[in-house]
Amino acid sequence: MISKVLIANRGEIALRILRACRTLGLDAVVAYSEADRDSLPVQLADEAICIGPADARRSYLSAPAVISAAVVTGCDAVHPGYGFLSEDEGFAEVVRAHELTFIGPPPEVLDRFASKEGSRRLLAEHGLPTIPGSHGTLRDDQHALDEAARIGYPVLIKPSAGGGGKGMRMVRTPRELESAIKICRSEARSAFGDDSLYLEKWLEDNRHVEVQVAVDRFGSGVHLFERDCSVQRRHQKILEEAPTPALSEPVRLELCDRAVRAVVAAGYENVGTLEFLVDRDGAFYFIEINCRIQVEHPVTEMLTGVDIVALQIRIAAGQPLGLAQADIVARGHALEFRINAEDPAHEFRPGAGVVERYHAPGGPGIRMDTHLYDGYVVPPYYDSLLGKLVVWGPDRPSAIARARVALDELLVDGLVTNVDIHRALLSNEAFLEGRVTTNLLDRVGSAAFLAAAART
Amino acid sequence: MSEAQPAPRRAAHSAEARSEAARAADHGAIDHLADELVPALIAKLGTTNLGEIEVREGDWRVRLRRPAGSGVSYGRRATDRASRAQPGHEGHGHAKAAPEGHRPPRGGGAASTDSNGANAPILSPVGPGRPGGPGPGSEPDERSFATSPAVGVFQPAATLSAGHRVRAGDRLGVVDMLGVPHEVLAPADGVVGSTLVEAGHAVEYGQELVRIELTERPDAAGSGA
Repeated sequence: MISKVLIANRGEIALRILRACRTLGLDAVVAYSEADRDSLPVQLADEAICIGPADARRSYLSAPAVISAAVVTGCDAVHPGYGFLSEDEGFAEVVRAHELTFIGPPPEVLDRFASKEGSRRLLAEHGLPTIPGSHGTLRDDQHALDEAARIGYPVLIKPSAGGGGKGMRMVRTPRELESAIKICRSEARSAFGDDSLYLEKWLEDNRHVEVQVAVDRFGSGVHLFERDCSVQRRHQKILEEAPTPALSEPVRLELCDRAVRAVVAAGYENVGTLEFLVDRDGAFYFIEINCRIQVEHPVTEMLTGVDIVALQIRIAAGQPLGLAQADIVARGHALEFRINAEDPAHEFRPGAGVVERYHAPGGPGIRMDTHLYDGYVVPPYYDSLLGKLVVWGPDRPSAIARARVALDELLVDGLVTNVDIHRALLSNEAFLEGRVTTNLLDRVGSAAFLAAAART
Repeated sequence: MSEAQPAPRRAAHSAEARSEAARAADHGAIDHLADELVPALIAKLGTTNLGEIEVREGDWRVRLRRPAGSGVSYGRRATDRASRAQPGHEGHGHAKAAPEGHRPPRGGGAASTDSNGANAPILSPVGPGRPGGPGPGSEPDERSFATSPAVGVFQPAATLSAGHRVRAGDRLGVVDMLGVPHEVLAPADGVVGSTLVEAGHAVEYGQELVRIELTERPDAAGSGA
């Protein structure tokens, strides 16, 4: 049972979790760093507790600080959100040792899926096709060079822990590999506290499609269909949508069905996302599983009407799913635009500062998940996500039409945001025809992409 | 009407008389109330579920009250602080009452106020008394605060008592974070004032725990031999 939840995260996701807790009638405490004292989740919370300084390593990434906060505020569960400690099996273990419930997979399940490379092997055993990659994590540069030569260039360097595109680089030559591997290790170390890397064969012109699943403690599992996250910049997702325009209906359903059967068979528990690459011919390959709530979960919520965060909490509390596959129906089309404090005209340079004025768009099918308010000071210490504009329409063209209106209504004065890139996407032929590949923005270059959009 | 006339005159008279005899005493009393009693009451209010505290001292009466609809009804905990604010509320009542006028205002957007009242002014939770003491060039301050180095449970040192003379860096107690003690250090040379949190109570990171009345710096005291 869960009655009081410590929310160990910040920004829009802390607010999203707070809302889910309230919907379920649970008490919640927002844990925050000194830099987030004035943040909206802290202001809206019934109870909030400062756990450390701005430096995430001593606040949001500090397991003792988070758990101590849960203990002294009388919580019986911890929700880690995404990023930070969300997929740290050591953290989940310590949470449990303090007789608290970790809202996510149980520690032994997290442990089983902790290594991306190990998960790939495990789910391959349960019937998912995978991409050729390195055997195990990379011991040193020579091992990396040997493995890359065996797989064949180009290859993608990936950190074994974490996600969000940090520590990832695609390389085409041994020389690029040698220099990139150092950067990847240092990025992975600072982002996840773990610098182990592995390699994956890079598919040219691939699409990124992921399947949302939910599995309860009793081994009942459902999928909540897929999301297409092919619009990326340097492996960072910018726009997500569902259903994917990349696959035909039968192939989509086959993908979702195989994904949920494989994770149930492999003993997964709680909500999770299986990521796949889809090649030019529509063949799909499993690449990794994310054992957490994801940034883009609202796309699926708009598509299916299921509150995934509430579902996640109920599963962690030991309740049965209460949903059969037939209960989950996808309606219409949903798009999510990540609104970041980044300047698309200047290499997506992240910004911080005062939000002079904020206005949320509205209307049918519009949802804005954000922690912005007039006068909010965006601190420079964390990622640049300001919020997510989620748009639903009865079909893709109408969702796109609503999205154009909503993006024009959205007002974030005082900061440069990436809204221009979204506007440009909505006038881009490849996007409108539903054939964006993950390299679209990087191949053209964002500046050229914006300029091209301005001419049309 | 005619009866009313002498009264104001008498009042004016007595006020003048008072100003000579009692002004200094009043100032002393106000200083004492604002500097010692009110912070202690705020801390007390924060560590309990009480909605209101009233204390009489001499001719003075101090009452602290949470605004209706906040605090008590939410079942706030020991870790709640004056620095918290709720949209549409004036923080938790004690925020305004906090005698923080001596502290330098916090930089950045702390003063930003939303026209909807969605961002009530928030007072700085951490005074100048951070470990290391007041920085060079900072305004002379009469007090400083030892703050919590961690989120956990406060245990003051056995020797900690008001009036005790301490040097910057002296250990005033610990905050126990999951069994690991984190030292609470005196931020500056001075004399221990009030302890704002009782032993065994939960504290959050940065929370003010012990007040230090600052004394003159050793070099200024001409102790160099």
